[in-house]
Amino acid sequence: MSKTLFASALALAVAFAAPTLAAEIKIGTEVPLSGNLARVGASMAEGIAVAADMFNRKNGKHTVKIITVDDESSPAKGVAAVEKLAADGVVAYTGGYGSNIIGPASEAAEKLGKVYMTSGGVATELTKRGLKTFFRINNSEGYARALLGLYADLGIKSVAVVYSTKEATEEVAKMVEKALTAKGVKVTLHAFDPSTNDFKPIIHKIKLQDRPEAIAMIGYENDYVGILRAAKVLKPDIKTIDGVWSLATPKMWQEFPDLMDGVVGTSTLPYPTEFTTPEAKEFAETYQRLYNKAPDYLGVFGYVQSKLLFDAAARAQDAGTIDKGGIAAELRKAETVTLIGKVRFDDSGDNPEFTHRMGQHQGGKVVLVWPAEAANGKIKFPAVPW
Amino acid sequence: MLELLAQSSFSGLLAGAYYALIALGLALVFGTMRVINLAHGELVLLAGYVAYGAETKLGLDPLASIPLAVAVVGLTSVIVYVLVSRIGKDRELNSLILTFGMGVIITNAVLMIWSADIHSTNVPWYHDAVILGDTLFAMQAELLFGAIGLVTVGAVWWWLEKTWYGRAVRAVASNRDAAKLMGINPRTTEVLSFAMAGLLASLAGVALYTGKVIQPSLGHNLTVKAFIITVLAGMGSVPGVLLGAVLLGIVESVTVTVASSALQELAGMVLFLVVLLVMPSGLFGRARRRG
Repeated sequence: MSKTLFASALALAVAFAAPTLAAEIKIGTEVPLSGNLARVGASMAEGIAVAADMFNRKNGKHTVKIITVDDESSPAKGVAAVEKLAADGVVAYTGGYGSNIIGPASEAAEKLGKVYMTSGGVATELTKRGLKTFFRINNSEGYARALLGLYADLGIKSVAVVYSTKEATEEVAKMVEKALTAKGVKVTLHAFDPSTNDFKPIIHKIKLQDRPEAIAMIGYENDYVGILRAAKVLKPDIKTIDGVWSLATPKMWQEFPDLMDGVVGTSTLPYPTEFTTPEAKEFAETYQRLYNKAPDYLGVFGYVQSKLLFDAAARAQDAGTIDKGGIAAELRKAETVTLIGKVRFDDSGDNPEFTHRMGQHQGGKVVLVWPAEAANGKIKFPAVPW
Repeated sequence: MLELLAQSSFSGLLAGAYYALIALGLALVFGTMRVINLAHGELVLLAGYVAYGAETKLGLDPLASIPLAVAVVGLTSVIVYVLVSRIGKDRELNSLILTFGMGVIITNAVLMIWSADIHSTNVPWYHDAVILGDTLFAMQAELLFGAIGLVTVGAVWWWLEKTWYGRAVRAVASNRDAAKLMGINPRTTEVLSFAMAGLLASLAGVALYTGKVIQPSLGHNLTVKAFIITVLAGMGSVPGVLLGAVLLGIVESVTVTVASSALQELAGMVLFLVVLLVMPSGLFGRARRRG
């Protein structure tokens, strides 16, 4: 009798203990490592690898294994990558860049019932599809809010918005226009095709017809360089020239020092980077160890999205729900203070807490100038690079 | 408004000269071998990256890096020719696939060697403003390579019209077998065409590196632009390339001024379709060129 009782107790103990055994959790990374998004994709992949390295050293129980597939900056390849990774046994995805790629890739993930976590697609449309497994930590509103907040603090009365006709950039431009117009700021819009490389006709129009106090650039790195070069040649009489992603970065200063001084863009971190919290310090040290360089903002986003996913996967593993929608449930339950601020997910998978910061190029440094609570220096205003 | 139109026409003219540099090599190979070299844009891009490498590693000014770019890109262009010349059947069609594949290889090689970051020269002189008559603005690089573009188009035209090798190239383009009977070695002239295309791509690539930005994914767009100009010009026509390129540049630029930059590519395509509808052989089609 006692033997039977003992055996039963042992069996019960094993049965209940089984879900909490240490597990290797396979996570898929679908990012562009070639094609026109290769640069941003590679930076995001670095952040993901840093998050995995830190998780594997610190969790003490579970480990994550990252399996990466290059989506070649193509929507069709993005879907194929998601399906291939599912066949490899991943339980969730972290990565994705470009709203047009993330859209179909995350739908493929939804069909497979696996969480798709990203920071590379900010289009509002992505979170209006009713997907249950889609999550992102940033959005267009956060970028627009930062630009609008800066202009409000500077008391800007007129803005010329120069924007690429790509989905995400057009959306941010329209948000900025709507909000500024509502505040009585005079706004002119100048859309440009993504293949445009001579911006002099646009800047000339702005100089002679619009005569704004500020030019807002909403595009990508090559667009910023073209706009700033045209502005440097034509010298419009403005007080500030600003932009959004990929602008206030050390890379841009390093490559185009003559174009950047005084330019303001969204920025997660100042440069030289200043890390104050223990997690941030460890992140920077790990990044330095793995890649022999300081992290950039894409690396930070890649790290944050992945850390949230890994932690949720580990909790779901402990709860025995990892294959039953547990990761999505764990993500929705959590509210976490991260390197980019507070993150919580609403029903659509969006992070309503996201507001970016603004950084200004100042003599080779990126100084955080907005919001006041995140600022580590004062904005130079008026300031243009010519 | 007049001031805006004058500036946009001037910008369009300079853009046209730069487009002509890109398109001329493609037009030359197309005219000689009936081969559409879909790797041409990547060759232009490769030259830009050679200039970038020469500036960052050797401290060379982009202009001084032209000989190095010509050596690397000319050799790559000849390799493309060697592969194309080995196609036994349906050369016109199969060469499309082969050159497209070569383009992908070059793009990925560039990506592996130089990463996906965007680059442009750090020599400030190229980006300094030039102001003509207080109303026309340009960068020094645009004026310099605009002038180089015009001179190069003239030189290529002279080479094709006035030199023995140029005539040989045109003879092979017109009738390969008849040219053979006249004692011309078609393979030599074809190699010459590809090498010349490499030279032209090198100049275009260095122009790109000084006046714009380079990134690995750019090659395909350059090929498309060059192809539009080549067809617009009429097959293999050198004056047609210049006229087509300038026309395209001005139409795109004026569209930005009078309408929106978002419509400039569309305006270019409308121009392309209108010219093909009215003049199916292009601006300087085959009949006129042969005459």
